[in-house]
Amino acid sequence: MSLAYITPSERFKRYLPKDYVELIDFGPFGKTQEEAGPGNMGQFKELMEEHPMCSGCWMAYYIRLIFASLPCPEETVTIGTAGCGRLAISQAAVPFVYGNYGDQNAMASGLTRAFRLRFPDKQKDVITIAGDGGTMDIGFSMTMHSWIRGEKFTTIMLDNEVYGNTGGQSSGMSPKGAVLKMAPMGKDFEKMPATDLAKAAGCVYIVRMSPTNIKQAAKVIRRAIFVAREVGPTFIHAYTSCNIEYSIPTEDVFADAKEKGKGRFAFDEYMTDEAKIVIERVEGEEKAARKARKASKAEAVN
Amino acid sequence: MYYVAKVNADMCAEYKCNTCTLYCPEANTLMFNKDGNTSWVDEDRCKGCALCVYVCTDMLDRNCITMEMAGHEE
Repeated sequence: MSLAYITPSERFKRYLPKDYVELIDFGPFGKTQEEAGPGNMGQFKELMEEHPMCSGCWMAYYIRLIFASLPCPEETVTIGTAGCGRLAISQAAVPFVYGNYGDQNAMASGLTRAFRLRFPDKQKDVITIAGDGGTMDIGFSMTMHSWIRGEKFTTIMLDNEVYGNTGGQSSGMSPKGAVLKMAPMGKDFEKMPATDLAKAAGCVYIVRMSPTNIKQAAKVIRRAIFVAREVGPTFIHAYTSCNIEYSIPTEDVFADAKEKGKGRFAFDEYMTDEAKIVIERVEGEEKAARKARKASKAEAVN
Repeated sequence: MYYVAKVNADMCAEYKCNTCTLYCPEANTLMFNKDGNTSWVDEDRCKGCALCVYVCTDMLDRNCITMEMAGHEE
């Protein structure tokens, strides 16, 4: 779909679903990031809607941020798998594909290739958003192989360091010593080095972060999508705490995310030279477009 | 009976600030009114996590948001 044909004619509007018309009138469809982006969330109707995730869930917050920062939501498909994240991802006005547990990256591989064949004139973005279990435990082989094959899509891991959706079993991403179900004496092994594995498997843009700085988090998501369009697989490893299983009082969730951002989720960005060239080019174009819009606005005022 | 966030509109309007709306985990819940420069809460959607209270009180020291019983009128 392109913006030109998702804009309904005035006479046809009342027959369309109300939600859809509202997304065009008050939402981000057909608008730029400055008009309806992460910087002014709360001032437009967002792509994401009411979801059944827990009160104060930092994962829900990060998913909200992902959808607000998408460079082209009408040309995007998200793929998820079992886990908490899919409860919110499936509530957004972006096509969502739900896979068997762990096969999100395998499905995304096929889907990206199919899109390139079916829509050679268009840029379709495929993003897999899955938890630490889906990406690094049960879907590990499919994740690694999609990276080794160099499939061009973005993988976002929502790392809550536990199997939150099934009652708090320890996962490969739980830190050493964490007391969880299936690890009552504290987990014996180290947390898996996800970003190092991604680097070894050939990801071209890798970020580890705790999403507390909105501008930075949005920039990272957009960079990952732009690089995936042209160069190769990209990976974002984001900390999205589970306030239920780690017993974090809801009002302290943000403080906890900040603290983790200084510790084991310290911001770490890796990119290859090819990825850097793409990022510099795209961000330069965006800057120029912003300047041009500002200038034409100033001219209109005068 | 449950708590929801409530914004003190008069206090909030003094600051041209929409920081709390950026940190709510719920979409389309804590909204910003550009005309009055205030945030407001859709009470039917608020899950009462008090993250906005942390942002307004602990981070910015502005104390404009409180948790109150849903539907409670003074």
